[in-house]
Order: sequence, then C-alpha cells, then structure tokens
Amino acid sequence: MSDYTIVKESPLGGAEHEFDGVTVSEVVDQSLVMIAMPNGKAEEIEAAMSKSCGLSVPAMGQSTQSADGSITLWRLQKNQVLAYYAYESDDAEANIAERFNAPSAYYTDQSDTWAMIRVSGERSRDILERICPIDLDPSVFTLGSVSRTIMEHIGTIIYRDGDDSYVLLTMRSFGRSMLHAIEVSVENVL
Amino acid sequence: MIINHPLLGPRDSEEFVYLGSADLINRPTNWESEEAAEDFYQYLYIRENIAGDNRELWYHEQGDQSWLVVTRCTLTHEIKSVELAQDVSRAQGRSK
Repeated sequence: MSDYTIVKESPLGGAEHEFDGVTVSEVVDQSLVMIAMPNGKAEEIEAAMSKSCGLSVPAMGQSTQSADGSITLWRLQKNQVLAYYAYESDDAEANIAERFNAPSAYYTDQSDTWAMIRVSGERSRDILERICPIDLDPSVFTLGSVSRTIMEHIGTIIYRDGDDSYVLLTMRSFGRSMLHAIEVSVENVL
Repeated sequence: MIINHPLLGPRDSEEFVYLGSADLINRPTNWESEEAAEDFYQYLYIRENIAGDNRELWYHEQGDQSWLVVTRCTLTHEIKSVELAQDVSRAQGRSK
C-alpha cells in the first residue's frame, strides 16, 4: 500500500486578491474556540478569566481584549463567548482552557470549521454594504463590534478588526461561495 | 420588515423563520388525564384568526438562534413588541 501523507490546508488555500482600494485575503493565522458558560456559572468563569488573562465578558455584539492584547473575546449569544486569537497549532482548545484556567466552562475548538476572510482598505465598507444587511456605519458598527447575520444567503459572522478592516467568517464549506460573493461585489462597486 | 431583537437590535426579517402562534409555548402537561386528547387537539389545531395584535413565535435562525415572541398587528404588519421566548415562558412559570 502506498504511503499517504496528509497535508494541512486552509479552507481557501490562502487566497489573496488586491483591488483598487480593497484587499480581500484569507485569514490563516487565527484560531477560534467557543467557551460555553453553563447556567449560574457565568460569574465564576468571568472571575477566573479576568484573573488569568485580564478578560471580561463583552456586551452582546461587542468584543473585549485580554490584558496583553493576544486574545479577543466575541459575544454573539447569551451563554457563550468565542475566543479569536493568533494561534496556529492543532490544540487550540487545550491551549485556551489552560490559559483561561476556568474549569467550569466548556471549550470547543472551531478553528477549522470556519473560513475566515478579511476585507480591508478604504473602500471595504462600499464592498460590504452591498451584501451585508446590518448597518456598517463606523459610528454604529464601531471598532471591535461583532455580529452574526446572513450575506448572500450564507450565515456569516462579521467582526470589525480595524478602522477599515472587517473579518468575515462562514462555514468552511461555504468559504468559496463567500469569496465569490465578495469578488462579485468588488466588480460591481469598483 | 425589521424585527427589533431584544439582545441584538434591529434585524432584517430575512434572518428569521416564522413558526406560528405563541400559544405553542403552552403545551399541555396533563397527558395522563381524561381531558388530554381534547387539550392537545386544542393546542395543536385550534387557532384564533386575529385581525389585530397577534403574538407569534419567530426563530432567529441566521443570528443567535434565539426564539422570540413577536407581537405583530396583522392588519398593518406593525411590530409592537419583541421578547425572548425564554423570558415569556419563564414568566409563565415554565422551567425552560
């Protein structure tokens, strides 16, 4: 039998496209871990993650940063937060559990289930407003805002990680469709 | 149509799925009693056809996956209030 070697590949193969005023690129260096907070344990978990990483549980649709700026927490649902942070090994779940030191939370590594695409540049909002139903006005969708919505019938998480920079997350299997939707929007706008 | 989600703010109705009357929360619990068949028949099939404010269940499928109780005027489609179904259910003494 032949010897197979399995090669790790990102959902979009590291796609990167430069346009006039917009860059569309796959985000490949971030991990995403879901932290579920069971009923009645939220305060205990928040106290533990505050002690270990200087993190607080963000308000709905907002994010918070750890004391050293290395971990971003997103809040999209009442009883869970998502940790979005630069980490490329395969053990993000154990890694974040150890760093948080909050044993009553439940951790789930979701890094490989999402395709992450960054749309950045001065015209990024012009591209996104064609496909995104939520209000992206800089004063409404402020820096660090995060939301889950649909774009082109695809369930998408959108996170503003810079003044003119947005990260879109879709299920891995929809990654190419999302990339296509963004590229079509770029063609229509530019 | 915009639904003003209690946690997430105004959202396009495209993100939601409509289920039906909010009466569906009140599932009978007396399944062993004599009246159970009649109660379940009423629960499943009998609906008021309201011309005015109707309380209905909507599911935020493409959002935070919450169930909402939306009060919508069937004459004007005006949405008058939006509550989390969980809160409504608990306020009625149910456990979930």
